[in-house]
Amino acid sequence: MAPEGGFAFLPFLWLVNVVWFFREAFVKPAYTEQLQIKTYVQRSAVGLLLWVAVLTTWITIYQHFRAQWGEVGDSLSFTIPRGTP
Amino acid sequence: MDLLSDKWIVNVVLCLLFVGVSSNSVEKKIYIELNETFPCVRLLNATHQIGCQSSLSGDVGVLHLLESEENLDWVLRSGPNPPYMVILESMLFTRSILMKLKNGSSRVAGVLAVQPTSNPPEGFSPHTSCPNENTGVYSETYGPSYAHCNVTTWNPLGTGISYEEFDFPIFSVKDDNDTEVIRRCYMEHNRAVNGSSPQYPLCAMQLMSHMAAVTDTATCMRRNAPTVSLTQDFVCDPLGDSNIWAFTKPLNNSVKGHKEGVSVVIAAAKMDSRSFFFDVAPGADSCATGLVALLAAANALRNATAELNRTILYTFFNGETFDYIGSSRMVYDMANNDFTVDLDNIHSVLEVGQVALGSDSRLWLHSDPVSKRNSSINVEVQTLVSNLQSAAAGLSLSLEEPNVTQPLPPSSFQRFLLKQQIPGVVIENHQASFTNKYYQSMFDNADYLKLNYPLNLTVEEQLEVVTDAAKALTEVATAVARGLYLQAGGEPAQMNRIQADSELVSKMLYTFLVRVNNSWFDQLVHADGTGILKNRPTNFYIGVAGQYVSEPFLIVQYILANLTGSIVNITKDICQNKKKDDNDIMNKDIYSYLWVQGPLRPNSTERESFCVRSTVRQSPALSPAFELEEYTSKNYSTWAESRWSSIKGRIFLVASHDLEMLTLGVGVGVLLMSLLLTYIVSSKADILFSSGREPTNATY
Repeated sequence: MAPEGGFAFLPFLWLVNVVWFFREAFVKPAYTEQLQIKTYVQRSAVGLLLWVAVLTTWITIYQHFRAQWGEVGDSLSFTIPRGTP
Repeated sequence: MDLLSDKWIVNVVLCLLFVGVSSNSVEKKIYIELNETFPCVRLLNATHQIGCQSSLSGDVGVLHLLESEENLDWVLRSGPNPPYMVILESMLFTRSILMKLKNGSSRVAGVLAVQPTSNPPEGFSPHTSCPNENTGVYSETYGPSYAHCNVTTWNPLGTGISYEEFDFPIFSVKDDNDTEVIRRCYMEHNRAVNGSSPQYPLCAMQLMSHMAAVTDTATCMRRNAPTVSLTQDFVCDPLGDSNIWAFTKPLNNSVKGHKEGVSVVIAAAKMDSRSFFFDVAPGADSCATGLVALLAAANALRNATAELNRTILYTFFNGETFDYIGSSRMVYDMANNDFTVDLDNIHSVLEVGQVALGSDSRLWLHSDPVSKRNSSINVEVQTLVSNLQSAAAGLSLSLEEPNVTQPLPPSSFQRFLLKQQIPGVVIENHQASFTNKYYQSMFDNADYLKLNYPLNLTVEEQLEVVTDAAKALTEVATAVARGLYLQAGGEPAQMNRIQADSELVSKMLYTFLVRVNNSWFDQLVHADGTGILKNRPTNFYIGVAGQYVSEPFLIVQYILANLTGSIVNITKDICQNKKKDDNDIMNKDIYSYLWVQGPLRPNSTERESFCVRSTVRQSPALSPAFELEEYTSKNYSTWAESRWSSIKGRIFLVASHDLEMLTLGVGVGVLLMSLLLTYIVSSKADILFSSGREPTNATY
């Protein structure tokens, strides 16, 4: 498991990082490599929070306004629900 | 071990057999399906969606039989078990009740309308009061004082409910045994006795008619072809069918555009109708009378067309109910040189509208006041009017012009005027507003025309009866035929030998308005067509443009071909073009050939089939808006019909919501309890399940 994976687009990997390595980074007694692991887990956590914020905002806007966007909304969508605007 | 597993296999197989055989009986004990329902479906145009919508898995509501308009209070406010499924008896299916239900639609799950056994005497028209007002010829630029029914409201009884939008399903059922079951279910379970609210279990109904298309035609056509999609999943289809037409003189149809020296008199009628409910369109006065009159006139002129110097073009337009689909398309084709003749070839237009004769036997000749300001057009219109009046001279009906200056009623001729000023007359049975009390409704049927056949006769015997309505319509057809004869240059002295056949008119009325599947029409159609013919009146609803042949199209095509064509002595293979036509004797560009079943041979099931050669042809009646892909067009019809997956209804008993929650709670509790018990038992397993055996290392 590589806590330093991804450049900008792997939020799920970072979620796994935070959960899996939390005990290693913060709970266990200190050892040499722990500082490196700690920084990576912190960076993963920051990236994860950023992504959650961006995705939540976009998903809320899309779900709320897609019907009003007409043609643009349809071209952004992969499956369009039948029977509702 | 093998023997044990064999036994298991046999056991399992036997159990599956049992389950497979009796698996549906539980469902049949709970639900009673509604057999024959007529739903209201969603139609879309450039700006609106109309009709009804249900939720994806159907709307469920507690049944309530509405007793009066005041009883609506129970449904909308005071009833304790919303949402309600309202059953409307026939006299309560009015605009005010439907609008109130629409406004309170959070408590309304749907509406079931029971059809009455006889037509409501006060009249009923769900259509608008000014039909096709935005696609006619009168607008801000052409006769603005006549636009939007300023002078005459054509359909004063029109309530416009066909063009409203409802977000709950509305179904219609006939008043028969199934409906009695529904009423009984309501009486037994749902009646409020002595002011107390009814107790659960209550009788409920589920109606499913989920429509896929939304908003308007542009949106649904866009969603028919999405940019990113794995499957082609259509949500709507444009309304359309085919126009049928026939020239009296043979013309080369493969050469399109203007034809030198050809002067055409168009004899037009419409061949479609509608009602509030899907696929219900008996269209007796609004469609069938004009259609039958023109068909009978075409037959009366059959032998007289050779001596005429003008050509008559019999045209039957489809889709006129929905903003003139057929006529707008034909005019568009003519203007684009895509038709056998063009607009400059047209000399005049005679349209036969609603012509059911009332007791006074008067018909009215409507013409357009705006084009008559031009003196040459006015002269031609007056000639046409006087030709028609002299045609009716020896008959028992009178043809008069309305004595006020008023615009044309809704008619296909208006679409011709939009493109070119042509003299024309529309024959109707109303001087001002319609006399048809049931315009575009399910009640515009044989009963309204008083087409009464004695009940004890068989279908064969009923076909031979010539009713009074048929006799009156024959007079109309004779007048139309003689008028066309004079207008096309016939000798006035020869006029009186042209006579429509009343038996033919009667049989046509029977086919259109009583029963399509009868022995007379059976003789006139081809063998494969008999599968489409049903034992009920013709359904004149236009439907969606597709590859299948619709009922009205088949009937009109074969009747017109048999009534105006001639029998030719060629074999079936050559007639149906299966074998090559050597020497090109057939002239397929001019004539069309239909192989007709013919009459039954005596004492046999074999038929004497033959080939009919006629000039009957068809052209697509699909709005130009769909050809040009202008789905927001204001000039052309943009009507489309939504698609749906299934339409059905069923009734069943429902338990109270509290009981359902209690059952669920008890189930969840049992689950948690059993999990807890299992955990406890397994953790103390060694204590509980000790067998009291002595330790094995005991030594003696």
